[in-house]
Amino acid sequence: MDPEELDQINAYFERDAQLREILREENAKLDKKVRSMVGTLSKVHSTPASDFPGIVDVVRRTLSGCNENLLAIVSLIPPNQLWRWKETWAYTIRSIVYIAAFTEFLASGKLISLQEVNDMVGIQETWNDRLEIQVEDYLQGLITLINELSRLAVNSVTLGNYDAPFKISIFVKDLFAGFSLLNLKNDSLRRRFDSIKYDVKKIEEVVYDVSLRQLNNPPAESKAA
Amino acid sequence: MGPASASAAREGVLAAFNDFRVQIDDYNDRRERLIKISRDITIHSKRLIFLLHRIANDDALDAQQRAAECRQKLKPIRAFFEAASDELRGQDFGRYSQSLSPGVQEYIEAISFSHYLEHGTLITHAQAQALISTPAGEPWFPLTHSDYLLGISDLTGELMRLAITSSGLRQGRHKAAEVCDFVRRCTADFESLTPYVNELSKKQSVTTESLKKIELAAYGIAIRGSEYHDFPRSFDDDPGHGRPADEAY
Repeated sequence: MDPEELDQINAYFERDAQLREILREENAKLDKKVRSMVGTLSKVHSTPASDFPGIVDVVRRTLSGCNENLLAIVSLIPPNQLWRWKETWAYTIRSIVYIAAFTEFLASGKLISLQEVNDMVGIQETWNDRLEIQVEDYLQGLITLINELSRLAVNSVTLGNYDAPFKISIFVKDLFAGFSLLNLKNDSLRRRFDSIKYDVKKIEEVVYDVSLRQLNNPPAESKAA
Repeated sequence: MGPASASAAREGVLAAFNDFRVQIDDYNDRRERLIKISRDITIHSKRLIFLLHRIANDDALDAQQRAAECRQKLKPIRAFFEAASDELRGQDFGRYSQSLSPGVQEYIEAISFSHYLEHGTLITHAQAQALISTPAGEPWFPLTHSDYLLGISDLTGELMRLAITSSGLRQGRHKAAEVCDFVRRCTADFESLTPYVNELSKKQSVTTESLKKIELAAYGIAIRGSEYHDFPRSFDDDPGHGRPADEAY
């Protein structure tokens, strides 16, 4: 190889490696926030539903604070190179989708849209050649949510909240119906999709147990009164 | 949540997922199309490589005739590049180019082989890119550094075959030494790049094996040549020379 060409190629890869390193560092900062939010959210398994708004508030404040980290990442990525660097931040983004979707479910019982996730963390339309939540990442985040909700169904009942499993069941069934519309190939999304049927089953069992003993009707509050 | 809003929520979810299905299907379809194009490019590149092996030692052809034959074989590949470039515009290149990589690498292997036979040098990245361009010189799509390197890494295997075959032919003996030198330099150059390109480090061991085979062939010629030292003509008439051992193939 011509020495000049070899130097050029070497320099090119060297620059690549440096940028990858910096992006990893920036992503690690974001990941730290993500982990702390996941930790806060896991308190819902041991908290009565009336205290959920407090948890949601705390998490959402951190979530909107993620904007500065995302901004740092996006400003490092050269124009039109979204796919080249995606693997450095994609996993963190999936967790962000999960966190945003979980807070939305806790707050309103609704499914968060992809656009609403973008708004919550301040991902701009103009970033779309560098950083963008892909459909696949959004769906991966939702699957994590489903995995978590089957736990919540069980734990709510333990805490005496007998209505929660019904809400969760409707929500997860709708999502499952949605996922069933997709033609998935044999990739990681497909494998994780295959796993949610166990969550659906688990939630059904909880609903069944509660209904069988008529614990949900009358609702817990009026029973106390 | 009342039954009315519950069914509205369900409708909303289903509508969103219908939209995702369209996007996911589009992604998979495009990927499949590129994989197919990649296979087609691979097949045609392999044919070119076979042709090059056939004509490399054919004295009946002059350089011009050889080049013309190569161009003939390259022609159908251009249509595949054109088809691929439609799928690889803008952002899509980064997203989908991996599906085309195997074909591109095989193509680089073929054109670098042809380039070596014609010029005795390694094709540069810019020269290779020029062969993935429209007749007007506009690239169909960018040639990535890793595809370029992985393609020329495979070239060393073809050169090994060339060196062994020509070492059995009268006019080809000097080739083994030339190729040996060339491949040795390639191997050394690649070594510094292996930390950056994952697959290259795997291919490096294959390249080293090829190099060893070429070295053995060169050794065979040298040792037999020394026996025939005073009678170079009789060396040329000995059909078995230059083949150190059968396993060298």
